[in-house]
Amino acid sequence: MALFSSSKRQLVFRMSIYLCGFFLLWEWLRPLETLTDTGSLSAFVLYTGFCFIISVLNMKWWLSVPLKLGGLLFVLDGLFISETMFSKGWFYLLYLHLQYNFEMISRQNWTEITPLFRSLLFLILLWLMSYLMYYWFVISKRIFLFVLLTFIYLTVLDTFTAYEANTPIVRAFIVSLIALGVSNFYKELGREAVTFTGLKRVSAWVLPLAAVIAFSSLVGFAAPKLDPQWPDPVPYLTSTSPDAGFGEEGTGGVQKVGYGEDDSRLGGSFVQDDSLVFQAQVEEKHYWRIETKDIYTGKGWERSTEPEYNLTSDGSIDFDTIESTVETESLQGIVTFQSNAFFSKLVYPYGIKQVEGEEGVNYLVDDQFGSIAVEAPEEQGIVDQYQISYDKPSYSIDLLSEAGDEDPQAIKDDYLQLPEDLPDRVGNLAGQIVSEEETRYDQVKAVEQYFNRNGFVYQTEDVAVPGRNQDYVDQFLFETKAGYCDNYSTSMTVMLRTLGIPARWVKGFTGGELASASDDSIEGLNNYKVTNSNAHSWVEVYFPEVGWVPFEPTQGFSNPVDFYRDVNQEEDSPDTDEAAEQEEQERPGNQQEVGADEDESAAEGDANVQFTDGWNWTVAVVAAVLVGAAVIIYLTRYHWMSAWVRRKFHHQQTPQVYQEAYLFLLKLLTHKGMGRQEGQTLREYAFQVDKRFESQDMVRLTHQYERMLYRNETDSAQWGDITELWENLIKRALS
Amino acid sequence: MTQHAFLYNSKISKVLRNINQVIVGKDEPATLSLVALLAEGHVLLEDVPGVGKTMLVRTLAKSLDCDFKRIQFTPDLLPSDVTGVSIYNPKELEFEFRGGPILGNIVLADEINRTSPKTQSALLEGMEENSVTVDGNTIELKHPFFVMATQNPIEYEGTYPLPEAQLDRFLLKLKMGYPTAQEELQMLEKTSKTHPINDIEAVIDKEELVTIQREVKEVYMDQNVQRYIIDIVTGTREHRGAYLGVSPRGSIALMKAAKAYAYIHDRDYVLPDDVKYLAPFVLAHRIILTSEAKFEGITAEMIIEELLSNASIPVRKEYS
Repeated sequence: MALFSSSKRQLVFRMSIYLCGFFLLWEWLRPLETLTDTGSLSAFVLYTGFCFIISVLNMKWWLSVPLKLGGLLFVLDGLFISETMFSKGWFYLLYLHLQYNFEMISRQNWTEITPLFRSLLFLILLWLMSYLMYYWFVISKRIFLFVLLTFIYLTVLDTFTAYEANTPIVRAFIVSLIALGVSNFYKELGREAVTFTGLKRVSAWVLPLAAVIAFSSLVGFAAPKLDPQWPDPVPYLTSTSPDAGFGEEGTGGVQKVGYGEDDSRLGGSFVQDDSLVFQAQVEEKHYWRIETKDIYTGKGWERSTEPEYNLTSDGSIDFDTIESTVETESLQGIVTFQSNAFFSKLVYPYGIKQVEGEEGVNYLVDDQFGSIAVEAPEEQGIVDQYQISYDKPSYSIDLLSEAGDEDPQAIKDDYLQLPEDLPDRVGNLAGQIVSEEETRYDQVKAVEQYFNRNGFVYQTEDVAVPGRNQDYVDQFLFETKAGYCDNYSTSMTVMLRTLGIPARWVKGFTGGELASASDDSIEGLNNYKVTNSNAHSWVEVYFPEVGWVPFEPTQGFSNPVDFYRDVNQEEDSPDTDEAAEQEEQERPGNQQEVGADEDESAAEGDANVQFTDGWNWTVAVVAAVLVGAAVIIYLTRYHWMSAWVRRKFHHQQTPQVYQEAYLFLLKLLTHKGMGRQEGQTLREYAFQVDKRFESQDMVRLTHQYERMLYRNETDSAQWGDITELWENLIKRALS
Repeated sequence: MTQHAFLYNSKISKVLRNINQVIVGKDEPATLSLVALLAEGHVLLEDVPGVGKTMLVRTLAKSLDCDFKRIQFTPDLLPSDVTGVSIYNPKELEFEFRGGPILGNIVLADEINRTSPKTQSALLEGMEENSVTVDGNTIELKHPFFVMATQNPIEYEGTYPLPEAQLDRFLLKLKMGYPTAQEELQMLEKTSKTHPINDIEAVIDKEELVTIQREVKEVYMDQNVQRYIIDIVTGTREHRGAYLGVSPRGSIALMKAAKAYAYIHDRDYVLPDDVKYLAPFVLAHRIILTSEAKFEGITAEMIIEELLSNASIPVRKEYS
């Protein structure tokens, strides 16, 4: 009875410590949803929990490994693979993925790694973590390091990213206190050999612990707190970094990121600015358009004419950016401007149909440049909230491929303009890029993809400003190859124009970051925070019978709108669109989700590259898996080393192996804090070890070893005994 | 446990049991005395009077069925009182040698520091050479030959301390120490009517003892244990507290003693444990301290203790 209750008690302690470990690890996972493009976080959390349960049940490895692997495949199947699980096609798809990704890894083509593979790596990392946590929390009962790391992680994220760790840190605090308390008690029990006759008595200790935790949490929560004693380190760090801009003249210097009216002189570095511009409650994340520009001057963008604003009746808006052939989906949303962010123009999604704000506000629409201005009565001040209705477009790749190149004259007049002194090599380069492409869509995609493959670097610091006789696009394409969205979008627009493809430059914001819902949020809509760092520019290309289609040349960003392919049509005419198909094949996966695929791999806001860039994210996961594996191998070195020695011991019964095994045992015991002192004889040491283990094994094993060492003889009849004694001791030392 | 061919090993424990009957709680000096006996060495017992030094020797002698002689050293004792004299025999008309007490198998030299150096050296020479010279004739001593000398460290008046260089004639130097209260009580009870020494019987005869001494030499000592001995001994020579360290004779003594100790414990090979245990008894009296060390209160035992805790125990063997 006593034995039963003791093992049961042990199980309860193990479970509670390990559960705390799970909650702490969960705190590590939570920010991923906010900071990265990780979707389906719950699947990852569930898988982590699954691994934890398997670990705590202490199964044999031949049972636990297949279970965990099965769970891993199940999660991947649910997230990425539409085929029936374990069907022929399923395996084939998985095989294709693995083959493709290993190829990409071998080419160090990190950006091309598919989401499935990244998720696979991440799941393996979680698997390793579950084991690592089991080792830390249950076996070695050393949890402080992980607790400390958790706090450092949360505070760093809170300081340097948009992640708000106010609640998480309180949760982590409480969980950590519980974990530390329980593990300390557990250790104390072992050391002092205190015996509790049953679980009931434990309450004598659990109650004070609970009281202490509750009290300290409450005091910590309610007590007055000092304001930050140091200034926010982010602006400090960015301000001390070397300033950029090496233009001979022009604006130069460092600007602050954000939306501005004047784009006549582009270039130069900027610093991040995370201040909020507006919040949007919409169903899905998408880009926010403000206006377009049509005249490229060689230094920046200007308008060909002054905007002509027309008052709209009842707020309905009809920009004719897309033709009726394009599929749309009707959606609604609310935009709320930050009161201190003054804007004379509204932000709106593609396919905007209607704007509705407060009473008495007039909306002025300029059709040519696609801008919406507001005119509010004097006493009302600026507009701070308005509702939008829009038909979100998604473009058929087949339709785009068939679009042809018969542009209306008006479009040709306005959107093929180029400065007279544009160097010829820009046009030549564009010609080279598209030399093998036939359709306009393929040509545009080729130019869009060009930047990904030819050594271009996304950076916001040390960005050049064109000199007096230099062209902004020419400088970026041939000299610096480093810059941000304006460089990429302007270059693409200009290159397309040299090819005779009408294109224009668009300004606005990216989709922002998912934030917790505010009080007045509407059911079914997500709340996105858009900051100055999300200011962005991209490209629109005209396709006859389709209209203006946005493209995204900037590295680390993905095209804001969905492209789809009609599956039946593709099967009917496989040869019509060779290039496009080729691209499809490069990315195995669900054929209909090409757009979505890209979305996941790419980034968010212009300025948040560090945490959102797909490239970094993949490298980080690969590195984390490798580091995690290395750490586990290191921490469990005595486990696998003892397995190795045991194997050797079984196969080869020689004095040499016996000596190796015995010395390994000494090393292991030293590692466990039972080291032999220099002048201590083996026999004295064996007594000491046996006293600790309450056994006779070490003395018996040592007697045999002494005979070998000091008598120079081994008794082969004893070999079985020796092996058994050694294994017992190893087990005891490792437990 | 082991299948070695020691014949008389079991008898050793009988001797120890005998001693334990007579002197309560003196297992350690008893065992160590046996170590010296089996290793063909001699013992110097140093302690205050009345703790059982003489009783220990007498019990040992009685258990061994050997010729036991006792010399009480006094300042007026002459060398010839130890070695013996030639006396004129009027009947035979010639000198006849009458052997002294040194011609016994087991000799108790009581209060050895009370006699003159001349007489002391007569004994010490015998211990070293296994023979004595009387009137120009060399007389072989008996075999086995075992001397247990005692000295009283308290009284200095009228004593002649043994020269340090001669102390290493003794294999071991022991202290008896007082018994615990419990042991003393037990002792009073035992001796209240008759002394228990009258009840004990000899368990080993002379021939058996010689065989045992030969067997002890057969005990195996591995090279790595020998190296351990060398480590300790050379340590004493390099220690800053030692004016003179242990001589090679000390290394040999330690080896012999360790073999005997292993034999007593029914083992046919020597452990570092044996060496470590015996080192203070074998080596301490062979170290001469510097005057600074003496002034600081450092003893030879402390030096050996320090060396033992630093000397590395051999735990691996080199396999080619």
